Amino acid sequence: MPLHLLFKSLLRRKMVTALLLIQLAMTFALLLNSMLLAQQTRQKLQQPTGLPLQQTLQVQLKPTSVSLRQYPALGDLLVRQLEAVRAIPGVVAVAYANQGPLHEGGSNGNIHDPDREELSKANGVPLYNVSADFFTVLQLSVLAGELPQSEISIDGIAPSPVVMTKSLANKVFGSEPAIGRQLNRGPVAAVVADFYGQRKRNEVEINFNSVQVAPLWNADWGYVLLIRTTADNVEAVRQALPQVLQRVDSNIEIFSVRTLQEQLQRLYSNEFGLASLLSLLSVLMLLVSMISSYSNAYFHTLKHQQEIGIKRALGASKRRIFTELLSENWLSTGLGAIAGVGCAVVLNQLLSQVISIPPLSWWLPVATCAILLLCVTVATWYPAAIATRISPATATKAL
Amino acid sequence: MEQLFYYLKVSWFSVKRAPLPYMLTVLILSLGLGVFFSNATFYYRINSDPLPAKSDKLFFPMMLLVPYQCSNCKPPSVLSYSNIAKLNASDIPSAKAAMYSAGGYLRLNSEQAPTPVNVRITQRDFFSMFDVPMLHGSIWPDNQARDEVLLSKATAEKLFGRTNVTGQQVLLDDRLFTVIGVLDQWQMLPRLYDAFNRNYLNPTEDIYLPLESGYDYNYLSNTNSSTFEDADYRKLATDGRTKAIHQLQYWVQLDTLAQQNAYRQFMANLVADEKAAGRHPSAEANQLVMMRDIVSYFDGESGDIKAFAIVTLLFLLVCVFNASHLSLNRYLSNQYEFSLRRALGANRSQLQVQLLVDMGLMSTFTLTGAAIIAYGGIKLMNYLWPANSLFASWDLQLMLALAALTLLCSYLVTLYPSLRASFGSLNKQLKE
Repeated sequence: MPLHLLFKSLLRRKMVTALLLIQLAMTFALLLNSMLLAQQTRQKLQQPTGLPLQQTLQVQLKPTSVSLRQYPALGDLLVRQLEAVRAIPGVVAVAYANQGPLHEGGSNGNIHDPDREELSKANGVPLYNVSADFFTVLQLSVLAGELPQSEISIDGIAPSPVVMTKSLANKVFGSEPAIGRQLNRGPVAAVVADFYGQRKRNEVEINFNSVQVAPLWNADWGYVLLIRTTADNVEAVRQALPQVLQRVDSNIEIFSVRTLQEQLQRLYSNEFGLASLLSLLSVLMLLVSMISSYSNAYFHTLKHQQEIGIKRALGASKRRIFTELLSENWLSTGLGAIAGVGCAVVLNQLLSQVISIPPLSWWLPVATCAILLLCVTVATWYPAAIATRISPATATKAL
Repeated sequence: MEQLFYYLKVSWFSVKRAPLPYMLTVLILSLGLGVFFSNATFYYRINSDPLPAKSDKLFFPMMLLVPYQCSNCKPPSVLSYSNIAKLNASDIPSAKAAMYSAGGYLRLNSEQAPTPVNVRITQRDFFSMFDVPMLHGSIWPDNQARDEVLLSKATAEKLFGRTNVTGQQVLLDDRLFTVIGVLDQWQMLPRLYDAFNRNYLNPTEDIYLPLESGYDYNYLSNTNSSTFEDADYRKLATDGRTKAIHQLQYWVQLDTLAQQNAYRQFMANLVADEKAAGRHPSAEANQLVMMRDIVSYFDGESGDIKAFAIVTLLFLLVCVFNASHLSLNRYLSNQYEFSLRRALGANRSQLQVQLLVDMGLMSTFTLTGAAIIAYGGIKLMNYLWPANSLFASWDLQLMLALAALTLLCSYLVTLYPSLRASFGSLNKQLKE
């Protein structure tokens, strides 16, 4: 059927067509932005962290008695806990830390070269106080220097040497070698590969980390045990951990036992939640659009039985009638999609004012249009099939 | 009344004649309203004013009283003990209280397993400023250090199994404290006195401790603290009181515009004095933020809820357009019946009343459907965003808003079809 006749047919039902086009345009806009957000969330969850996510467990805990939260009782508790966890079958390595990686907020401070503070300053860098096995547990490769082997107090006369990640070393020292250089928190002992420390607005800063092998003096904010297991023992170790730790000392509160993979998902749970809700809403919107297309085609068929009968009597094949009805809906979907691109841009702008959402890319409208066309085709298939069953004899009723 | 039943009967027959299009119209409208309302519940509750009579009188002062130079810096969101001492010198505010929160473990005796509790460490004006209701006992007579605590009603019931426990003793982090008061049921939502870092979404605390005792016993803030000089945060009793360890939130009550202006001037004078003494190297950056603006000042508004609000509004619009579309098709199918009634003598106003009854019936079904879908939507949102779960409840105002919105949407959905059915050309309609 020529395009102008399809337009003419749509214009015969101005109000109904207008309502359908508005719906299709809005559905298109929401679907497109949902896909964009889902894609962004997926990218965040799959971004490289530099950490063995599946095989590392993180236990967040805190002593419930004041004395156990202070050195030296805390030091003794840590030694006993590490020993007991090491003895669990399947544990490869275990370490303590004042805070774990893959967190939002925590114990942070500024890191800079005291000789050129303004130029080298990195603000809000996560400061880790850890046991020597921290690097083994997280499988962090040493890029330069040597890792400290024993715990040295961070506020002693000779403070504990600093191990920094590559991104942080680049920020503070540029292209110059970092080993042996003095930082405001101590001398640099080693540079290790980047790992995801804390969530930041800047994608580079998530890899800024400063680690010192040092005893924990205080656990008022709690601490973490990081445990790497063999691949097939993660669940068994996770099950055993609470009992083992309670046996060492019952005066502790265990907040959580999670793999680092779970910790990463938790870090982006808000984005995941919004992407899930928008995806669900997109499905509902598609369903609503399908109902609309179905009802539009069905009503059209009922209303124009005689017209279709005349066409059949004048020689139009069933296939032609079928294609004609589908073409009408494809045309309205196409028009809805064109208007939808504008709506999608406006919605994208509105959403970007309240959440972080990337701008639209060229291929997304094409993919969205394809999904919408598929749904509309499925929805109008049955009414179009009914139209083909109208007998040419129906034409005689028009006389 | 008889006429109304007749109209209802006619409406019901019309529904039964073509139940599928009717059900689809109701379903689509219920979906749109239900989804919109589930998010609107959170949006409304999170943005509500917990103290409407006072929210324009309570202020959060902030100053750049730090020992370093910083240009174009916002003042820290928390103050040091010595900053508070300087601000406390003013008698302009009707009430003033410094505060922070910490974690602790509470039990009745050393044999009992400890219960983790959230502790608000504060001063006596806190209770009058935020309209905290007392059930038993009283608050501290002054702001001195004392081993006396106040418990929330839930904590008293959990610990003792009753609420009248004034004079009883409890172990908080292995130290003995006397309970001098129990609060009545109180949940300030949103909890705007602790707005930084979206803490306003959290429930109110379990136990209340004097600020001076909190410093003496070295309770560290569990939400927001910063150290701006070489100071040992483990020594709150000494370094905490003299050095730049910032962890205190500070609220003042300024009832009149004159008080507010006077307090701004007081803050400006304080900066000038500090500058003269060499303790304020930066430019003045004083802030006096009203309680109702505190969340937006800290950039803590819930972006996800806002984004979803935009999208659910869009979805509601789509559903209204869709339901109108379905409704129009349904009315056009029934147009012959309307025309026949008009031909038999029914006037337009009678047809309009019939259509209003249709709308009423549709609103009833839609409201029921929307409430069920909204309930499911709230459960789903609680699962996906557990941090907002305190804001999931409905009140009468919200329910009435849902009913009004349902009526409006149902009216919009039936408006055009009813106009078309009632005011079209009778001859043309009968020919069709």
